[in-house]
Amino acid sequence: MTEAEFPQCRIVTERLLKPETVEKILNKLVAIEGIRRIVINGPSIPQLVPYGPARGLPNPHSGRVRIVVGGTDVDLRVQVGTILLELETRDIVPRIDEACREVFTNFTFGLKEGKFMRSTPTQTDYAKYGPGADEMMIGIVDPKNKTGPTLIQGTK
Amino acid sequence: MAYTPQYGPGKSIVAENRRKQMNPGVKLEKIRDVTDEEIVLIMGHRAPGQAYPTAHPPLAEQGEPDCPIRKIVSPTEGAKAGDRVRYIQFADSMFNAPSQPYQRTYVEMYRYRGIDPGTLSGRQIVESRERDLEKIASDLINTNLFDPARVGIRGATVHGHSLRLAEDGMQFDMLQRCVLDGGVVKYVKDQIGVPLDKKVPVGKPMDEAWLKANTTMFHSLVGTAFRDDPEYVEYVQTIHSKRTKYGFMPVE
Repeated sequence: MTEAEFPQCRIVTERLLKPETVEKILNKLVAIEGIRRIVINGPSIPQLVPYGPARGLPNPHSGRVRIVVGGTDVDLRVQVGTILLELETRDIVPRIDEACREVFTNFTFGLKEGKFMRSTPTQTDYAKYGPGADEMMIGIVDPKNKTGPTLIQGTK
Repeated sequence: MAYTPQYGPGKSIVAENRRKQMNPGVKLEKIRDVTDEEIVLIMGHRAPGQAYPTAHPPLAEQGEPDCPIRKIVSPTEGAKAGDRVRYIQFADSMFNAPSQPYQRTYVEMYRYRGIDPGTLSGRQIVESRERDLEKIASDLINTNLFDPARVGIRGATVHGHSLRLAEDGMQFDMLQRCVLDGGVVKYVKDQIGVPLDKKVPVGKPMDEAWLKANTTMFHSLVGTAFRDDPEYVEYVQTIHSKRTKYGFMPVE
């Protein structure tokens, strides 16, 4: 669950990103001091074929790979099109904008400040996590997902 | 006076393209040359070269009942031979794809016999007897109804029509049935997602200018805006108004 006082912003790109571009932008972002949480979002790339006669077969896909962000492995499970950020201070937004401009050179992007992560648990969150939920997790992952967040060592 | 179909309203290039595709008197423009064997591989219903499996004995052998309709309507080649009914399904990106589900159904109904199209918001399926289907599929893939990057041949898991394009201009496909390899789009899986033994090339993606000039989809950001075609707007508003009024009270 997110604190109301932390500013948030959202990066939406004109195109869905390749894993190499995601790696590039995330490494630029984690180098900026003052980002608390990052959510990467986009259409899912399943590990197995989910529907149809081929259901259950492995689904080789060049978008479902492991990237390295700030020295930590991150398994991509979506084709990234949106990046949500929770910041400690609004002052770093221009630096985020600059990082985006350096990476997204072939297409446009939008950077918006606002409130994009949930601030109160829903009924589903309550059913999944119970009353003693980890506040860091609520609103940033699918409650049905069994994998946790990737922790990247900060500079503090 | 003989009736001449108008096929559709509108003065924009999109409206013109729609009419051209629907009108069976206008020949579809052949752009690429995907072979029949390659189309059979992409569809994945039978192995190339394999005899057509049958659903019933050929009509000549099974003996037809004395029926006036059967005398009027001649069976298609596939029906004559007793082929199975099989399908091909397309997902068209809303970013200036050359065709789109409703349009595809109109096109096929005007141009082909013995078909059963199914229209959905983001995909369109057409069913037919297998050997007829292969001929239809060859038309649908090799002509200006298809673009390798913006149109996907997808039997299942079709999500992608309304999504942003990937960085390389390909429509999103969670099963990645086709990849852009050296500027040419190649199918690596058949339409349901089973990997193919060899890559099947379907040609180079068309450029933006061609897509904009040949699309049948209105898009205010990347193509022709619907509001720029007042005749089309008036037509749609008339239909909407009439069906609402007469649906409510079908009297003048």
